[in-house]
Amino acid sequence: VTLARTAYRVVIVGGGVLGLYTAHHLHRAGVGPILVLDRGRLSAGGSGRNGGGIRQQWETRSTIRLARESVAAYRRFPSEFGHNVWFRQGGYLFLAESAPELERLARVREAARAEGLDVRLLGVPEIERLVEGIVPGACLGGSYLATDGTLYPYPVLWGLLEELRRVGVEVAYGVEATGVTRDDRGRLNGVLTSEGLRSTPAVVNAAGGWAGEFSRRCGLEAPNVATRHEIFATEPMKPFLDPMVVRVSDGLYFSQSMRGELVGGRTVAHRPGTDGGVPSSARFVTSMARALVGLLPRLAGLGVLRAWAGFYDDTPDGLPLIGEDPRLPGFVHANGFGGHGFMLAPSASRRVAGAVLGETTDLDPQEFAPGRFLTRGAAPRSERLQLG
Amino acid sequence: MAPDADRRFRFGRAERSARPGETVLGALARGRWPSLARSVRYHRPRGPFCGVGTCTGCLVRINGIPNQRACRTIVRDGDRVETENAWPSPRWDLFGALDLMFPHGLDSVHGLRRPAWAIPLYQRVTRRLAGFGRPPTPASAAPAPPPTVRTAEVAIVGAGRSGRELAAALRGHGVRPLVLDRRPADVVRGEGERAPEGDLLGSVTVAILPSPASREGDGPRTGHQLLGFDDRGGGILVRARAVVLATGSYDAGLLFEGSDRPGVVTADLAVSDLELPWGETVVFGGGERARQVVEHRAGDVVAVVAPGEIAPDLARAAAERGVPLYPRSRLVRSVGRGHVRAVELARRDGGGRFRLGCRSVVLAHRRLPNAQLVFQAGGARRWADGPGAYFPTIDPVGRSDVAGVFAVGSVARPREEPASTADQVAAAILGGPTPAPGPAPAPVPGRPRAGEMVPYYRELLREPRRGKWVLCPCEDVLVDELEHAVARGYAGLELGMRYTGVGTGLCQGRYCLPEAIAILAGLGGVPPPEVGVVTQRPPLVPMPLGALAALEDAVAEADGP
Repeated sequence: VTLARTAYRVVIVGGGVLGLYTAHHLHRAGVGPILVLDRGRLSAGGSGRNGGGIRQQWETRSTIRLARESVAAYRRFPSEFGHNVWFRQGGYLFLAESAPELERLARVREAARAEGLDVRLLGVPEIERLVEGIVPGACLGGSYLATDGTLYPYPVLWGLLEELRRVGVEVAYGVEATGVTRDDRGRLNGVLTSEGLRSTPAVVNAAGGWAGEFSRRCGLEAPNVATRHEIFATEPMKPFLDPMVVRVSDGLYFSQSMRGELVGGRTVAHRPGTDGGVPSSARFVTSMARALVGLLPRLAGLGVLRAWAGFYDDTPDGLPLIGEDPRLPGFVHANGFGGHGFMLAPSASRRVAGAVLGETTDLDPQEFAPGRFLTRGAAPRSERLQLG
Repeated sequence: MAPDADRRFRFGRAERSARPGETVLGALARGRWPSLARSVRYHRPRGPFCGVGTCTGCLVRINGIPNQRACRTIVRDGDRVETENAWPSPRWDLFGALDLMFPHGLDSVHGLRRPAWAIPLYQRVTRRLAGFGRPPTPASAAPAPPPTVRTAEVAIVGAGRSGRELAAALRGHGVRPLVLDRRPADVVRGEGERAPEGDLLGSVTVAILPSPASREGDGPRTGHQLLGFDDRGGGILVRARAVVLATGSYDAGLLFEGSDRPGVVTADLAVSDLELPWGETVVFGGGERARQVVEHRAGDVVAVVAPGEIAPDLARAAAERGVPLYPRSRLVRSVGRGHVRAVELARRDGGGRFRLGCRSVVLAHRRLPNAQLVFQAGGARRWADGPGAYFPTIDPVGRSDVAGVFAVGSVARPREEPASTADQVAAAILGGPTPAPGPAPAPVPGRPRAGEMVPYYRELLREPRRGKWVLCPCEDVLVDELEHAVARGYAGLELGMRYTGVGTGLCQGRYCLPEAIAILAGLGGVPPPEVGVVTQRPPLVPMPLGALAALEDAVAEADGP
């Protein structure tokens, strides 16, 4: 791999959905030359390992706003980028097992309604109609938004990458960013890569599961924690389930893909950090299987086809870092999405591009500003609907 | 009907019978080629192909549970067997029209997106056509049998020749290994040396050997866990200090036009005891495996076709039976409506093309190791040019590079490399003094090399394509799609797999990825190892949710908090 230039207007670290989308927005704004680099290959990180869920039900209103814009962007995607992403709006159904969980979903509903989204609270009979064969007594109720859905992640990457290459944006896989350089005044002026130094006034950290690691290599204390998260897919079946189902209590989630496979995961505690790689664990597949069969007993005879894992890029308050780092002008964060980067990428990346251009953001600074962790004390807001 | 067939089961609306211990496929394939399902995308006819429980050629619905392998399931009285993914029947399937409507396949990456308002409609139709069987019926979910949890010093997966030899050697050292095999215990015991009671778990499919790196609990980390299931859907967990894989090898698939046609089978199926009406049989292969097929199907074989030279033993066996030989030939296409009627061949040395009428085609040209469990555990791979396949990295005394994981027999190394003795391996497992690992054995020169599949496919892909060339029969992926992926810059196996779906089907890529490696190497003009590999994701074969669920507590206990 050789890089075409010695100097760039902006270097984006991470060739996943966030990095590619950010490059797209920057190019559209007339910025150039742009370099996107990634130490792995296309779709090797979280963008190629997620379950493809796209939802707009959140506790925080800015997240809802971003998600809503993303849904619109993914609907446009096939005509805009010429790739069929199979964005199927089968809805998202959150299941509550207790009164406090129900109240929580009611608050989600209020927040979503304030953003113009018709989230409905469902009773047990409606849930039983949506989830054929759900065990009696599985929940007290739930919330449902029909325009949430699932998509097939890879074509999003292919569409973005082919469009960027068509317009001449340089995207280099197999090139690692190892740090940044600063000028006398402490302003960022270059990026160190496995192919040597490249000068640039702006670096975007969109490194997904490795974002915290990259920030720290650049000398920036970062709140990001990489957490292994596992998924499995069952054998394909004829369609019987339309919505993505998420259980609030334990983070169990599953949906039926276009191919007919049930794809889902569940929160299982893993030691933080990227050291162990991403092997699938017996602990996850057995606990996931038990949770799924517990909810849908009829599936006991169905086979699990394949299991895999990836890294969530978690933050303490469950909200991403979007914007310039106050400690290092020119260093822009696009990370900390906690396993929800794919669903927020089209709209979040627009704000990232805005931050590179020095535009003022329309996002609540308390919720997304990278500097919010620098002051002591708890973050003022948090997003705890970090499920699915 | 066989006189001793006293098990009764229903196949669709018909009453059928089976012998004790007979599989569903065994009973259905008595005197006929059963048609059990249509393929997933284009509803192409499918028939039995692999015979060893990995392909999608004989999937049926049994007692309300979809996608059961007819070749692995032993008939029980009162079973209800139904065909899948076809209407009204796999032989006459209305959706088979899709195959004709899209003669060059369907581009799901760029197609079906215009006009935008029609997308939900496309999605509904596509989704209806996808999947395979219907979801399980509620009644199919019988209470799961309690899991079997066993602890052993040494667990051996596979009771074939190598597994049995090693078990005997270990017993010689005073260790009673636990041997697991997919076949019923009485079948294994009847095959040769008696395994002492309690040391053999039969009818068990081992599906998962987790990488030690995946275990993060505080439990003892000195051993391994094997997860599997038995033929009643019960979960099996074996904890062992050492795991030995004696899982053997299997016959590879082969790409040609209509290679997915019923009647095209692997040698594994051809040497089984299925009473299929073989009819005139063309054997593809020039070595030992082809010779076995020629001897096993003596009266049926009408031709031996080989991609390269024909080995003297095979030539002799064929000559004794008056079977003509066609060395240095390509299998270009199969011909027929549904079942194969003939094959079209081309001489690779520039000679002519010819057609051979036949009722079955047996692929016996190369054998590949069943090494998936070693790779699941995180074991390294090495490319072996001879067979043209990845083998696990196994040292001369059977050790893989994952501590406590060993391999013996044909899974460990190609035939032409000298094998270690069972006694050496047993000593290494038990931690006794082990000989220093010698240099990697040099391949024996002069043998036909299956690595030569690269030039073979390069020539083959220049042939005009009239019908579909199905590279991945599980997902109906056409070779054209792989070429398309390369042309768009998605080179390499990993990206090719994601772009086309090749290797993501129920067989976990066993019949398409080895071919895809050779094809990609040819397209890119690079040696096969440069094409890359894909991660071996667990499980090895689909493992029932119920069996996995029943193992949660035992797994958590072994892992520690």
